[in-house]
Amino acid sequence: MKSVSVSIPVLILALLPMTGQAQNLSGNINIQGSSTVQPISNKAKELFNGVHPKVNISVGGEGTGNGFKALASGECDISGASRPIKSTELAKVNAAGIKFVEVPVAYDGLTIVVNPKNDFIKSLTVDQLKKIFREDFAAKTWKDVDPSWPSEKISLYIPGSASGTFDYFKEVIGKKDGKTLRSDEQVQDSEDDKMLVTGVKGEKYAMGFFGYSYYDANRNGLRAVPIVNPKSGKAVTPSIETIKSGEYAPFSRPLFVYVNTKSYEKLEVEEYVLYMFDNLPKIVEAAGYVPLPEAVVAAAQDNVDASNTGTHFVDEKGEKRSGALESVFVPENRAGQ
Amino acid sequence: MSTNFYSSPKNESGRKQKSNLFAVACLLISSLAVVILVTLLATILISGSSWLSWEFLTGVHKEDNPEGSGIGQAVTGSALICLLCAAVAIPIGIGTAIFLEEFQPRNKFLRWLHGLVQLNISNLAGVPSIVYGILGLTTFVYLFNLMPSIQVNKPIPWEIGGIHFYQTKTLGRTFVKFPAGDREETTIKLTQNEMCIDGDGNEFELKLVDKRSDAPKDPELRKGFALRGRSASRLTERSPWYFHLPLGRSLLSAALTLALVILPIVIISSQEAIRAVPRSIREAAFGMGATRWQVVRKTVLPAATPGIMTGAILSMSRAIGEAAPVLAVMGGVLGTTRGIQSLMDQTPVLPVTIYQWAGDENAGFENASSAAIIVLLVVLLIMNSVAILIRNRYEKKLA
Repeated sequence: MKSVSVSIPVLILALLPMTGQAQNLSGNINIQGSSTVQPISNKAKELFNGVHPKVNISVGGEGTGNGFKALASGECDISGASRPIKSTELAKVNAAGIKFVEVPVAYDGLTIVVNPKNDFIKSLTVDQLKKIFREDFAAKTWKDVDPSWPSEKISLYIPGSASGTFDYFKEVIGKKDGKTLRSDEQVQDSEDDKMLVTGVKGEKYAMGFFGYSYYDANRNGLRAVPIVNPKSGKAVTPSIETIKSGEYAPFSRPLFVYVNTKSYEKLEVEEYVLYMFDNLPKIVEAAGYVPLPEAVVAAAQDNVDASNTGTHFVDEKGEKRSGALESVFVPENRAGQ
Repeated sequence: MSTNFYSSPKNESGRKQKSNLFAVACLLISSLAVVILVTLLATILISGSSWLSWEFLTGVHKEDNPEGSGIGQAVTGSALICLLCAAVAIPIGIGTAIFLEEFQPRNKFLRWLHGLVQLNISNLAGVPSIVYGILGLTTFVYLFNLMPSIQVNKPIPWEIGGIHFYQTKTLGRTFVKFPAGDREETTIKLTQNEMCIDGDGNEFELKLVDKRSDAPKDPELRKGFALRGRSASRLTERSPWYFHLPLGRSLLSAALTLALVILPIVIISSQEAIRAVPRSIREAAFGMGATRWQVVRKTVLPAATPGIMTGAILSMSRAIGEAAPVLAVMGGVLGTTRGIQSLMDQTPVLPVTIYQWAGDENAGFENASSAAIIVLLVVLLIMNSVAILIRNRYEKKLA
């Protein structure tokens, strides 16, 4: 196994000069932002470097919020985001005179996980999740959530507040009432998803959440909890199919990259973005996420081709637009820059 | 009871028993530490040793492919950063130590200053390395914000040794570059034929056409044509002496930061070595009419060199194992496609690679991480043994 995987790249390298098609493209691309989008960028980087070995791509994953900061300070060419840009962040980017193209790349199903030894949670409703995660309910034991559950202390492992995953979860369970996630001694947070996985694996009464791809890569020792779809009333387990069909609601979400338009003028960034579009389904599936509907990808490609700047998720008054991606990501909604 | 406690034989067996018990307790405690160390080493050896191979030692990091990944770049990066760090920290450290030990001022104010420097150095030796990381970030990466920071699509505030090109795409879908001359814009539009260099290094004239259809149909020939008005973007190739300010997230920044981390250690160990030189040697030299500088240069330094070198090597092994300051200054770089071209490049280093691999979602990287730990431990072991060898060898001579 080992010798095979080593020799294939060597073989490719050995064959390159013979084809006479040595690609001369060089340069630097700096990608920062969400750790949830990082696997997509890493996969794209790997494939792109297979064609253009001289382009140096650095991919960081310090969280969506930090990614937008880097975009505003001109530190990165592309910023990954697991939620759309907020109006406050948009204002900072505009103040810095930076323009961007908003590109949705994939769907992710935010996955709520428990320890496999936990046999009492069959499914969860959004209301139950509020009781568990919100600051105003902050249930102490599982019995407080459902009287038939054991009277054991709840322990939670959640992503840090700089991550888009935290924001997205907070929005689903707390937005209407202006509440945020609890942060007491029963909660441990980390920007490093691996810490969350280790935490939930090690404790029978623990619960945590992160992106679907991360769950997919760590199925051993974790169980994804089916979530009751508020519209149909059916409990749905996250999977590629249920996320794609929209049945897994309200926790399936789009992932984005934001491309600095000034950077897009650089040949290496342009080629990278074009390459990413050409291979998007392959990249997205290899990274463990769910491909977007073709209409959305086509609309995104139109924006990239014409360098249409601005976001689709903040309206002229600075209010956030929400709804299904297909209905929000349309040219009429583009504004802000 | 207190008067004949030591001489009374009546409690002797009881006290011996206590003494033995205490010895056993000490043995248990110290063997606990050894057991933990051995367990740690054993787990690392078990999970990592099968991964050690020539391919692993020379390869580069590959995403999602732990079997094919290697630490070649990390080893070169660590070695280079360590050498740079030594080149900066050791001369400054030894100089400071000589000043503190041999040139003690007589003036009251200067004595106070001397004491203050000494106190600061002793305190700095205990400062956590991540604090140095943040210091390095402000000092070297951003240069106290005295200059505009480095941005992805703006010219670098100040640079030398960069060879500037513009690169563009031909109608034959190949990428070519031509010298930038005195143009400074990040992107330009093609307005005239340019002497270009293709992927194989051949020079040719890139002809411009107004329409795609004006170019020849043959794909090979189309490689010599481009659309008028097509954009070309700036590309900087780095000569080995390429340098820019602010230093940015570069291996030079990381090396300078690590130099700060080990500087107090170098100073203190050099001071110890200088202090260990017998007073009589100095006095003999003074008696022969030597000046203070001659005493230091001809007698103290040669006698203290083994001790100074031992301290320097031990501090180097600290520098090579530090992850936190490097992470803060250079970021968690795992691999670069071009390798190191200049001091302004980023590079992976061993401790950061270990940290990143251990946290990778692909579990295979945990084994790779163990293998990298083995390599790092071997390097550290060699460095420390060299330090001990030097010490033992020269200690005898002086005595």
